[in-house]
Amino acid sequence: MVFKREWRRAQKALWIWVLAIGGMSFLIMSIYPQFAENKDQLQDLLKLYPEAMLKAFNIDQLGFDTALGFYAIEGYLFVTLFGSIYAALLAGGILVKEESDRTIEFLLAKPISRIQVVLQKATGVLAVLLVFNVMITIINYVGFRVAGDDQVDTQTFIMISLAPFMLHVTFAAIAFGVSAFFRKQRLVTSIALGIVLGSYFLSIVASISDKLSGLKWITPFEYVTSAYIIEHATINPVYILIMLTVIILSVAVAIMKYHKKDLIV
Amino acid sequence: MNVIEITQLSKSYGKSRGIEDVSFEVHEGEIFGFIGPNGAGKSTAIRTLLNFLYPSSGSAKILGMDIVKDAKKIRQSIGYLPSEVHYYDDMKVEELFRFSAGFYKDDASKNAMKLAERFQLDTSRKIEDLSFGNKKKVGIIQALMHHPKLLILDEPTAGLDPLMQSIFFEVLKELQAEGTTIFFSSHYLSEVQKLCNRVAIIKEGRIIKIENMDDMHANHFKKVLLHFRNKEENTIRIEGVLQEHITDTTYEFIFNGNTKALLEQLRTVPFDDVTIAEPTLEEVFMHYYESKEGEQNGL
Repeated sequence: MVFKREWRRAQKALWIWVLAIGGMSFLIMSIYPQFAENKDQLQDLLKLYPEAMLKAFNIDQLGFDTALGFYAIEGYLFVTLFGSIYAALLAGGILVKEESDRTIEFLLAKPISRIQVVLQKATGVLAVLLVFNVMITIINYVGFRVAGDDQVDTQTFIMISLAPFMLHVTFAAIAFGVSAFFRKQRLVTSIALGIVLGSYFLSIVASISDKLSGLKWITPFEYVTSAYIIEHATINPVYILIMLTVIILSVAVAIMKYHKKDLIV
Repeated sequence: MNVIEITQLSKSYGKSRGIEDVSFEVHEGEIFGFIGPNGAGKSTAIRTLLNFLYPSSGSAKILGMDIVKDAKKIRQSIGYLPSEVHYYDDMKVEELFRFSAGFYKDDASKNAMKLAERFQLDTSRKIEDLSFGNKKKVGIIQALMHHPKLLILDEPTAGLDPLMQSIFFEVLKELQAEGTTIFFSSHYLSEVQKLCNRVAIIKEGRIIKIENMDDMHANHFKKVLLHFRNKEENTIRIEGVLQEHITDTTYEFIFNGNTKALLEQLRTVPFDDVTIAEPTLEEVFMHYYESKEGEQNGL
């Protein structure tokens, strides 16, 4: 019941986000042909940019000269960053909303255990994010077909589509776990946004400065950096392991905390 | 059989006083009133029974099951109306009823529709557009719809107009006749009088009295109003006065004890007129709320 309800409730926002991010990514891909025509001029232009900036956006490693590289620099940023914001907001609100809106007194008077509530909501988030990423992937695929005549490597395309999904689920799980400790949705929303934007900031810092490159271990954005995926046609397995661990731990923490929590409304 | 069995239950959290060392039982088939002023711990006690809050100490059983360990199982057999009614605003009334019904084995939504008709509630409207009283009806219906063995109602009548209130009481009486046990909290004491078999009175987190309503009526409480033509010095001493109210020319009090003894005492008082009447429960209990001495006077 809870899963079904959350699934239905999430639909409106889901499709708005699909349209916004998918549309943005598609638009960006649709200007790629013009870029490709003026490749040489673009390379000259890029030389004028400070090195740090090229590094920050991985332009030094990717280059604008393939459709995939172009996407990896431009569209991928939208999908990972804004997609993560969506994922964190969705997951951060889904549990605490019941307390914030004081509907938990209604829900938990029904024959359902707290653990079931948490699990069904977590599953709801997972399902919504899966659909979200499948839709974005379809839009991107169409975008690549429209934009480039060059062949896109299937393996790389699958990986560059799977990586954002893993990233989204990771941020969703973190926000979900954190939300179990709070009672007010507004607070959780701010914290969830802070985690995503803070992580993004750290990933930029980590790629600019060699001294601070150790930071890459603590920001999920580095786990799915497009440069690595395009070069190796895979996601670094160590990072996959870290993300899976974070996801499982976060949900486990949410369950344990929520099970023992005093629900004060 | 005891439907609710509370043993030395305590709960304190945050700044809230919570409840302290609460013990009582509710028998099968009775309507039990849980009375106290705002902030006395009524809702804390109820929320602990429903396992929204974990007890600090003590324990309680509902239908023989532990409120913490068997929380989910207990919920199968109870209906709960929260004191403040908050529902998913995006739902229509009928959607909420279907959602509620989905948690139970039998299809309860038909019964919900029947009840909605009785309470004159338009189920096609969005919940957020409903008035407070109508939201309350939604709450009552979702608590009753699945024929629970035990009904827990937190301030059920607040917001209901008198007509709806009487329909509601009618429904409760019917449910009691069918064997449903009803536990409800209120600070409107007059409600209790009409409905309850027994009441517990809670104040500052502690149960101060559990009364059988039949005994209450048998107990000798009288409301006495003495009139004086001339200004009277406050020299009247009557034993058994619970609560007094003095103006220049009147002396009003609630008397507890043997009526004959009251008349004996009144003989010596130089009043000009006297009215002796049956007090409402409200008047009897009022001193519990107002002063601590009430506890020593005892009922």
